[in-house]
Amino acid sequence: MATRVLIADDSEFMRNLLREILEGEFEIVGEAENGVEAVNMYEEHGPDLVMMDIVMPIRDGIEATTEILEANPEATVIMCTSVGQEEKMKAAIKAGAEGYITKPFQKPNVLDAIGSAV
Amino acid sequence: MRVDVRALGACNRLAERGAGQAAGALTDLTGTDLSVEVTGASVASGEDLAEAFAGRESIGVSVDLRGGLEGEAVLAFDADNVDALLSLLPGGASMGRSAVTEVGNIALGGFLDGWANYLGTAIDMTPPRYFEADGAAVLPDGALAGDGVFLFESRLDATTADLDFSIYMLPDSGKFRDLVVGKTAPAAAPGADGEAGNDGADSTAVPYESLSTFASLAKRGSANAADNIAMMTGLTTSVDVSRLRFVPLADVPAEVGVEPHAGTVFELQGEPSGYLAILFEEESAAKIAASMLPTEPDEPLGGMAENALCELGNVMTSGFIDGWANVLGTSITHSPPEFVHDIGSAAISPLVAKLSQRQDYGFVIDAAIRTEGVQARCDVYALPDERELTRALDRLSES
Repeated sequence: MATRVLIADDSEFMRNLLREILEGEFEIVGEAENGVEAVNMYEEHGPDLVMMDIVMPIRDGIEATTEILEANPEATVIMCTSVGQEEKMKAAIKAGAEGYITKPFQKPNVLDAIGSAV
Repeated sequence: MRVDVRALGACNRLAERGAGQAAGALTDLTGTDLSVEVTGASVASGEDLAEAFAGRESIGVSVDLRGGLEGEAVLAFDADNVDALLSLLPGGASMGRSAVTEVGNIALGGFLDGWANYLGTAIDMTPPRYFEADGAAVLPDGALAGDGVFLFESRLDATTADLDFSIYMLPDSGKFRDLVVGKTAPAAAPGADGEAGNDGADSTAVPYESLSTFASLAKRGSANAADNIAMMTGLTTSVDVSRLRFVPLADVPAEVGVEPHAGTVFELQGEPSGYLAILFEEESAAKIAASMLPTEPDEPLGGMAENALCELGNVMTSGFIDGWANVLGTSITHSPPEFVHDIGSAAISPLVAKLSQRQDYGFVIDAAIRTEGVQARCDVYALPDERELTRALDRLSES
C-alpha cells in the first residue's frame, strides 16, 4: 500500500510542484494551506507523512507540527521550507520533525528525505 | 547613534552573500544562471528614494522580519520580466501570482539565511505578500517615511533571460543598530585589509545624523552639477537620481556597465580626497558636446568635443564639491580633467583601483542627470576617501 501523504503549504505553486513529484509513488490524502488546516486534515485523514512548510499564515508549520505530535506522537513530519537558517531548523527538529528539505528542491532530494523518515 | 562604517561594510558583505544564496536558489528553481551584480547600502531620505524609483513598474513579494533582525524585505521583478520568469517555472505559466509569490519567498529565505546564521538566532519571516507596484511603492513601508534610512539593495542578473530583479531590505533600528555601530558587527573576511569588526571602531564611527546630512549634501551637489550643464549647453536638465550608497568598491565598475562612455575623471585633494567621474553614454556625450560647440564637430567625439567635455567636467566638478567643502568646513580642490572614452567599467576601474589600495568599501555618490531637448544622460560617481570623510563628518557633528 502506498505511503499516504498530507501536503501543507500556503503556496498553490509549491503544492502543485510537490504533488507532481509525489503522485504515482505516494497517495496524496490532502492539501492544507495553513497550519490550522494541516492539524485538522491530519486528524481527518491520519496520513503516514506530512510535508510541512514552516512559514504559513494563521499558524506556522512549527506550531502545527508541535500540535500534531502532541496528539499523535507517532506522526511523521518533514519540513519543506525556503528558510535554511540553523536556528529555524533546530526549532523544527525540536518540535519533532523527522527531517527537512530546503526549497527549491529536486525530486531526488524529496524522495531521499521521505526514504529516511518513513 | 554612531555608525561604524567598517561594520556597515561587513553588513554589506552579509547582504551580498545573502543575495548570492538567493541567486543560487533561483538558479535551481528556474534552470537559468543568475549572478549577483551589485549589493549596496543606501543612506537616503524618503524623498530621494521616491525620485530614484519613479517610473519603475514592479511585481514581487514582501515579508516582515521579526526575531534576530526586524524590518522588512522585498523582492521585486521588473514587471516586463515576469512572463519570462513564469515560462521557466514548472507549471508557472498557469500559476501566475502563486508562482511569483513562492519564487520570492524562496529567494528571500535564502537571502536571510546568512544574516540569521551569523547572528546565531532565527529570523522569522511572515508569509509573503504579493504586490504589483509603481515607482517607490515597491520599497518597504518605512523607507519613504524615513528621514534617512539604510536600505540594502542587491541586483541580480540572469545570463540567458530577462530575469533581473532586486532585493531590498530595510532593517529597523534596535538589533540592526547593534550591527552597524559595531557591537555585533560581522568579522572581516580573511585578507580584507582595512575591514574589521570591533577593532578600531572608534576611528571609523560617524554620527548617523552627519551621514544623513552628507546624503543631502550629495543631492545638492548633483543639482549644482545639473545647473552647470544647463548653463553651458542651454539645455534644460534635471537630476533623476542622487544617492549616497555604501558599496564594495570592486562592484562599482560592473555597475557602470559595459556600454561605451565618454567623460572626465578627476582626483580630489583636501578633506575628503578621492575621485570623481562624470560619464556620459557615448551617444549622449556626442550630443552634449555638439550642443556646446558653435559648429558641428568633424568627429562626434574628436578633439573639439573632448575639449568641450573637459570644460563641462571642470564646471560640474566644482559645482559638485563646493557644497561639500562649505558644509564640511574644509577645502577641496580637484585635478585638471582627464578625458576618458572607453567602456564604462574600464573608464572607472583605474579610480577604483587607486582607492582600493586604501579601502575595500566606499561611499559612492551616484547621480543621474538628464537633459531635455536632446536625449542625454550623465552619471556622476564620487568616491571619497572613507577615513577622511569620516573625520570631516565627525567634525560636522561637533560644530
